Amino acid sequence: MNKSASLWQSDAMATRIKKRYKAERRFKAFGIAAIVISMAFLVFLLVTMVSKGLGGIDWNFLTNSDATDPDLAGIWGALKGSFFVMGVTLVLSFPMGMLAAIYLEEFAPSNRWIGIIEVSINNLAAVPSIIFGLLGLAIFIQVMHLPRSSALVGGMTLALMTLPVIVIAGRNAIQAVPPSIRDAALAVGASPVQTVFHHVLPLALPGILTGTIIGMSRALGETAPLLLIGMRAFIGTPPDSFTSDATVLPMQIFLWSDEIDRGFVQNTSAAIIVLLVFLIAMNGLAIYLRNRFETRW
Amino acid sequence: MTPVFVLLSALGLGLIGWFAARAKAQKLFTGRGSLHSLPGYHGWHQATWVILPALAIWTLWQIFSPGLVEAAVLGDPATGILTETGIQRTAILSEARQLAFNPDAPAFNPKARELAGAFAAAITKFNWIGTALTLVVAFAGGAWGYTRVKAAYPARTKVERSVMFALLLASLIAILTTVGIIGSLIFETANFFSFVSPIDFLFGTHWAPDPFAPVTDDIGRKYGAIPLFWGTIFIGAIIAMIVAIPLGLMSAIYLTQYANPRLRKWVKPILEILAGIPTVVYGYFAALTAAPLVRDFASSIGMANPSTESALAAGAVMGIMIIPFVSSMADDSIAAVPSAMRDGSLAMGATRSETIKRVLIPAALPGIVAGVMLAISRAIGETMIVYMAAGAAANLSANPLDSMTTVTFQIAKLLNSEGEFDHPATLAAFALGLVLFIVTLILNIIALRVVNRFREAYE
Repeated sequence: MNKSASLWQSDAMATRIKKRYKAERRFKAFGIAAIVISMAFLVFLLVTMVSKGLGGIDWNFLTNSDATDPDLAGIWGALKGSFFVMGVTLVLSFPMGMLAAIYLEEFAPSNRWIGIIEVSINNLAAVPSIIFGLLGLAIFIQVMHLPRSSALVGGMTLALMTLPVIVIAGRNAIQAVPPSIRDAALAVGASPVQTVFHHVLPLALPGILTGTIIGMSRALGETAPLLLIGMRAFIGTPPDSFTSDATVLPMQIFLWSDEIDRGFVQNTSAAIIVLLVFLIAMNGLAIYLRNRFETRW
Repeated sequence: MTPVFVLLSALGLGLIGWFAARAKAQKLFTGRGSLHSLPGYHGWHQATWVILPALAIWTLWQIFSPGLVEAAVLGDPATGILTETGIQRTAILSEARQLAFNPDAPAFNPKARELAGAFAAAITKFNWIGTALTLVVAFAGGAWGYTRVKAAYPARTKVERSVMFALLLASLIAILTTVGIIGSLIFETANFFSFVSPIDFLFGTHWAPDPFAPVTDDIGRKYGAIPLFWGTIFIGAIIAMIVAIPLGLMSAIYLTQYANPRLRKWVKPILEILAGIPTVVYGYFAALTAAPLVRDFASSIGMANPSTESALAAGAVMGIMIIPFVSSMADDSIAAVPSAMRDGSLAMGATRSETIKRVLIPAALPGIVAGVMLAISRAIGETMIVYMAAGAAANLSANPLDSMTTVTFQIAKLLNSEGEFDHPATLAAFALGLVLFIVTLILNIIALRVVNRFREAYE
């Protein structure tokens, strides 16, 4: 009889293979467990918030501002503050980010200065958000004397934080436009600036917008930098200008979570639901834009 | 009100200029090649000449007019009542200025109320002068630009040059931000070190800053940051990673190696949601649900008086938040391993899990380690979860059930204590911020280097 065949069919080998298959199944089970645990946590978190907060969402909650009585307190003031802050952030960071991305991708010579700019953009994207709060406090409030805890300062601080996100997304989108488009435009006599603004930019715009929305949704949920520039005061009336005292939705959640009155637990969870709805809507829009306008060249 | 008016009128004039110059250029058009630039470019050239000088003048005026207003008020004979000098004089003047903007503002000094009228009058007057000056400059710029509209004038070249300038300016914002961060952190930290020696700060083990305590010579003994560094490392780099690395790594392995593409397409975005949830929500969840669980557990194993705030609750929730981050980094680095290595191992009769454990993970290890470093740098910079769940007590302890504090927590707390900005307790926040900035920067730079070298190795 063949020697190797008997080796393969021996009892020792059968146990060994059984053991290896068992290890294989165990490993696979670990993988499934990891995914199930992560998803279970997500579901648990969402269910907790919905079950605690859904009862608190009514018309009064959406139209009132913060109050000391949990039954009267609402989120309109914080929501309006968030709109103001996001407005400032968008107006500053979108044009700046788009222009910087165009410059770095299309016109920048490759020298040491440009290298420094690229490195600093990539590093800024990884700087902890609270550092931007320190920057806002030191520069915007202590040096420039802009009004503390206003939507203007909050928006400027978040704009600096969002800028690198938009630049990086914008560069990727511009890079994805094939060179043949540029060559065609240049060949019929367009100037380099015309080539970029008339041909490359329209094709890259969906990608830039997607990146902008993702950056904005991160800014909308951000709390830490705003804490440092003083946006944590009790705001009983909605802000009526960019320089008046304001608070934002995540900050309202934070302030309510500190309240001792049990009634605020419902308010906090309800405000979290509203915040998550906004974030889901923004991310949904980003996904839609990406699917609708993404071109595979 | 005035700034909005000035901005709108400058833009309006610019728009008018755009149409006027374009119309003039269109009239000059006599046939192919008769104009150097298209009429639209003449319009943009004109609009630039109207808007930019006007806004520049307005900005300059905003910088200088407060000084002029004060000079005008002080030149007024009514200010004879102002006999105080020094700090008090400055205080009264700034109160009067506040009153001029908002008559309901609180005023502690009656003299401020008397001066408010003079201030209001001077401010209105100088605002009018500034507005008029801006409009004059807008018209002057417009007139100069309008005379340039000629057939041979290279409007396009000029406009494109200013476009390039704007592009360059936008890219410089990133450098300015970096310089601003480093500059302000170093400046305030230097201030802080004039009160507290760097050695006390970096190696001291007692942390008890009081923003209202008088500054004494031995103040350095209260600013030992070792407990904060330990708390940060323990929560962000140890507890959070014990949760995030196995879960993140295993889910990435399952999704890339076992799951069919359809499942992957659905599960991956759902896991990514974990990274998109605002940190304040995690913080609230940690404080509301996780912390009481940990406390009950602590008392069930016989700890006396367990605190509601624990390193474990904050660290575990933070770890969950980091899962998608670890998972996507691991995903990328496993995908970068050439499939020939995997196929070779499978062809030799290794099971899939053996291939993963013995071939894929060792080959992808540099990328995974880099991903973990990036995850740590994100975890130690996280503020809201620790602010809401980890506690304020600066304990130097290895017990995860104890309350612990972190660098980010203390930054937020020190700057929210309403103390004086020049007090060492406030400045300490900037010193902590500088340490945090340097550590995260180093982690990121090393991680990116490793990732790049690792990519090159397999290409």
